[in-house]
Amino acid sequence: MDVFMRIAPTVIFFVILLGMGFWIQKKSSDSRTANYSKDYYIGGRSLGGFVLAMTLVATYSSVSSFLSGPGVAWQRGFGWVYLASIQIVAAFIVLGVLGKKMAVIGRKVDAVTVVDVIRSRYNSNVLAIISAIVIIVFFTTSMLGQFIGGATLFSAATGWSYDASLMLFAAVVVLYTTVGGFKAVAITDTACAIIMMVGMGILAVIILGEGGGLSGVMATITEVSATARTTGEGVDMIAPTASGLVSVKSLIGFWFLVGIGTVGLPQTNVRCLSYRDTKAVHSAMIYGTIVVGAMMIGMHLLGVLARGVLFEVEGSTDTVISTLISGHMHPLLAGLTIIGPLAATMSTVSSLLISGSSAIVKDIYIYNKTTKNEAVDQKMVGKISLIVTAVMGIVTIIMAFEPPSIIIWINMFATGGLQIAFFWPLLLGMFWSKANGTGALFSVVGGLAVYCIATAQGISIGGFNNIIASTIIAFILFVIGSKVGKPAEEKVLRTFFPDKF
Amino acid sequence: MEKMSYKEKFIQMNKEAKATWIATAIVFVFWWVSGFGIYAVAPEATILYMPAWFMVACFGTWFLTIGLVVYLTKKVFKDFDLNDDTEIEGGN
Repeated sequence: MDVFMRIAPTVIFFVILLGMGFWIQKKSSDSRTANYSKDYYIGGRSLGGFVLAMTLVATYSSVSSFLSGPGVAWQRGFGWVYLASIQIVAAFIVLGVLGKKMAVIGRKVDAVTVVDVIRSRYNSNVLAIISAIVIIVFFTTSMLGQFIGGATLFSAATGWSYDASLMLFAAVVVLYTTVGGFKAVAITDTACAIIMMVGMGILAVIILGEGGGLSGVMATITEVSATARTTGEGVDMIAPTASGLVSVKSLIGFWFLVGIGTVGLPQTNVRCLSYRDTKAVHSAMIYGTIVVGAMMIGMHLLGVLARGVLFEVEGSTDTVISTLISGHMHPLLAGLTIIGPLAATMSTVSSLLISGSSAIVKDIYIYNKTTKNEAVDQKMVGKISLIVTAVMGIVTIIMAFEPPSIIIWINMFATGGLQIAFFWPLLLGMFWSKANGTGALFSVVGGLAVYCIATAQGISIGGFNNIIASTIIAFILFVIGSKVGKPAEEKVLRTFFPDKF
Repeated sequence: MEKMSYKEKFIQMNKEAKATWIATAIVFVFWWVSGFGIYAVAPEATILYMPAWFMVACFGTWFLTIGLVVYLTKKVFKDFDLNDDTEIEGGN
């Protein structure tokens, strides 16, 4: 009975998600016959403001925003919430800076993927292929990380085995993403974002209730911090630098990695191609900022406040939230709360999966077809899209049963690597008319090399996260390449920079 | 919805992007100054039992950002058609 109550809410939620996936597949059969990839990979450019905001935030808030982040906050205190709060800017910068340009240009050149935009701006097949490969590799490893995190959590909170937990939720997310495509991803993301907020609310009530209200919890934390200041043992949870565990240099690094640099994440900026009209993007900027702030400040603050309830944890701090859920709640409430972090996992995976699949089908397969002047049969594209999405998902699930250490290792480079590969090519491509293919190629190859080699060697250039040095080097290489290479053709410039004519 | 030519849309979008960067810069400065500033001046101060520096730097920055985004979208950003219909008009 106990296990049943813990699992029932999740099962109901999963049935709803699957229902959404199949319902959308049925509803969009007409628009898919006309242009399969446009409907399947971008939802026919139909998202409204609320859904756009929710899918952006849900994609961005991953399992780590629910588990490892709050876990570290439990140990380090308010300094870690301060660091996490940088992410407030993640929703509006990408929409404000790139949102409309990508939408206008995307419609003009009929782009369905971020790589489509890059290809039409730089006319470089090599660059497009590199971008697509970067997406495929890093998206797969990121999905794997999400699967592992989600399955570990579910198994800890319900008592199910890791393998059974993985099978259950991974199969569900792969299935609804495969059949429903981007539109299903966006709608389910919205449901996930809402349930994440619900889970957060329940956690807040439990923590404050058990910890003797805000004053009780804060009394504990103040005591811990006072001890740390006088004896040097433990962490000063009240200080922004958390007894030196949060350095100013790391905060600067994070301002790029989780703040400004998120403009370059293809899983977020592909959403600029998917919305309906300017009203949608305007309201999404507002909703997105409200929700991302509530979620990031909220979850990490709950991690800190959990210190008033949990004084010690066994093993890694990742277990703080799952211990709270499994040990401090009525089983039914636990079952409801566990959906929050699972939803965070699934909404991230679904977006990575659909964009990863588009990189293979649209950026490589369909492109090769059209260059050979072969007709693109929409039915065939439909079949291939479904198969590629399913296979990519299934392969990742299989790897998650016994995660190969090489993949865990590659995942360390995922966020930074994606940012270096897309930040300057998109930003300079859209705002600097002298940017050209040579510059972009120099920048992506050089930047990725510096970032990956330095990070792999454990060097941190200048004491900062390597993203800082690599982004600067990538910028310099971009400018050099653009000076030596051929300028963009006039046709391209007329599309991307009509204001120069 | 304003009627704009393809070129006018780009001039407007450049303006919007610039305004977004300015808003980001304001958020950035406020976040650093309020966090470390208040902690340096009054490390023990609290708001609702929690550290004052934290409340202003996190919740304050959040509210400020929402305010700035509302301002941007209402005052700076403009509504226009994302499709380019100028060619069709030219053909008539």
